[in-house]
Amino acid sequence: MSRKFMKGNDAIVVGALQAGCRAYYGYPITPASEIAHAAALHFPALGGTFIQAESEVSAINMVYGTAGMGIRTMTASSSPGFSLKQEGLSYIAGSELPCVVVNVMRGGPGLGNIAPEQGDYFQITKGGGHGNYRLIALAPNCAQEMCDLTVLAFDLADKYRNPVCIAADGFTGQMMEPVTVPAARPVPFDHTSWCVRGDAATHRNLISSIYLESADLERHNLKLDEKYRRIARDEVRCEEYQVEDADLIVVAFGIVSRIVYSTVDQARARGWKVGLLRPITLWPFPSARIAELSRRDVRFLSAELNTGQMVEDVRLAVEGRAPVHFYGRCGGMVPGAEELLAEYGKILEGGRS
Amino acid sequence: MAVNLQTLSKNEDLLTGGHRACAGCTGSNILRQIMLTAGRDTVVGGATGCMEVVTTIFPYTAWKTPFIHSAFENCAATISGAETAYRALKKSGELPVPRERINFIAFGGDGGTYDIGLQSLSGAMERGHNMLYVCYDNEAYMNTGIQRSGATPFGAHTSTAPAGKVKQGKDRHRKDLTKIMVAHNIPYVAQTTPFHWKDLQMKVRKALDVDGPAFLNILMPCTVGWGFDPALGIELSKMATECNFWPLFEVENGEYKLTYKPKADRTPIEEWLKQQVRFKHLFKPGNEHLIVEIQRWVDDEQRKLLKLCGEA
Repeated sequence: MSRKFMKGNDAIVVGALQAGCRAYYGYPITPASEIAHAAALHFPALGGTFIQAESEVSAINMVYGTAGMGIRTMTASSSPGFSLKQEGLSYIAGSELPCVVVNVMRGGPGLGNIAPEQGDYFQITKGGGHGNYRLIALAPNCAQEMCDLTVLAFDLADKYRNPVCIAADGFTGQMMEPVTVPAARPVPFDHTSWCVRGDAATHRNLISSIYLESADLERHNLKLDEKYRRIARDEVRCEEYQVEDADLIVVAFGIVSRIVYSTVDQARARGWKVGLLRPITLWPFPSARIAELSRRDVRFLSAELNTGQMVEDVRLAVEGRAPVHFYGRCGGMVPGAEELLAEYGKILEGGRS
Repeated sequence: MAVNLQTLSKNEDLLTGGHRACAGCTGSNILRQIMLTAGRDTVVGGATGCMEVVTTIFPYTAWKTPFIHSAFENCAATISGAETAYRALKKSGELPVPRERINFIAFGGDGGTYDIGLQSLSGAMERGHNMLYVCYDNEAYMNTGIQRSGATPFGAHTSTAPAGKVKQGKDRHRKDLTKIMVAHNIPYVAQTTPFHWKDLQMKVRKALDVDGPAFLNILMPCTVGWGFDPALGIELSKMATECNFWPLFEVENGEYKLTYKPKADRTPIEEWLKQQVRFKHLFKPGNEHLIVEIQRWVDDEQRKLLKLCGEA
């Protein structure tokens, strides 16, 4: 295992290659373009494929085509490009195909800017495209996780035959950190039972999301729903720091969780019992754990780079048992430690809810 | 219709200085030249791209005309909507400031035109809106870090078609967007460069005067993406025409016409290639055949064009 200093965006490509992905389709957009640059350099050199599509719509549909062959495949973009991919993602989810889609979130809505934001939380965790479907969403908060969660994303995609989104932000994509490169390994899945490869073993398989009979489509939706329930039960991941005795539990993901982490000890030095709960899976959301923690005298604060999106899931988990506060910055503005500490002080000492 | 320096020099400069284009950018020069002829009664739309970004960093704008930006893939659609609204308001007598004629010009780079915006451009041309679409073609996605596009020439190094041990830059020739636009049977299609200012002005005048859609494809040497001395941009646009890489022609109601006849002994393509870092690897020993291939392609394309222009 080697250790290298690299950008988060490059770490995604390293993770993808070590996970055995050899088919990348992309389209240029800041701040995600480095992923395509690195893929263009390394995928063909390792016997894989890199294709720059003529649009985001084409890139996601190339993924659809390759995923149908049961081959590990991915695309990456940033918020406006991720919006364009939604129809394709709905088809991929409806057809139950595995793939990985990276969204290095930038400021929105509309053109917004190219600075980091977490404004696509709703779009990523609530479906995004049309119909009843879910993306599994993994939120890395460092370059190492950009790599490791990409490896995990491919395994989850294959395990559940479902698209997985890496919900990164401009910061985690652009910042450079040391990354321990995981060992490459063979893909531990055999998709012969459902994929289509034009050979004798798969010639009876059919990949489709069309069910013209209402009863059939309902059955298909219920089958998907059953799968999503299994994922919600088995695949929740979160990280906790000092939550057990906390009077204030801050819920944060991505770059914000790094900042919150740095404030926990400072807050405790000031006599405020603060803890951090970091969802690693944005969907499935760690609702059960938050519900458990809410059954005592505690307050929650959802800190996000948006105007309040994940806070709705925190409230749904808390079900009114505890006060849930929100603090957000957006447009590329990122809260500093002092700013957050001031907010903790207001909540814990000001009694504001 | 006469275009001369005397009249042009009196026209108002509608793209102000102080925008954030790179030193030696030929794109801002192209926009200024177009606007000198188009004049104030013009609505400008810009697809996402370097010229949109550098001229409209909010809250500033370099445009003295109305300017609309929507997204990367739909500038032609947005201008279609604006032009339709103008016609509707004019018809119902509800224009707030009555104008006999307003020019509608959509600008897009080659990424926003050859690639992601082709669908909306094709639709706008087919529907017959009274608009001009200008592609400023710098032959790659310069705004996002020099990725290859459908306009990138064979052999060029880009960040997503890199030259290295396995590949020698892009391995496909560019698509002929100008001819794709001709196939829409619109009244006016032409291509030109910023060096040929008189040719450019004539073409803008004609494009704005026709009744219906018009399309201009303008080569835009890019100092950053092509890799050349910022002083040489205009010279490189001249040389692109001299070596037949970017011939000047127009197609009026389906009739092709050369607007600049290159010399019989055209400049060899390597003279143009060797000025640019993106083609540097083509001059390594063992890559001679790639330059031969580019020359073959240029000669073939020129032969086809001359035939279409009745010059063969």
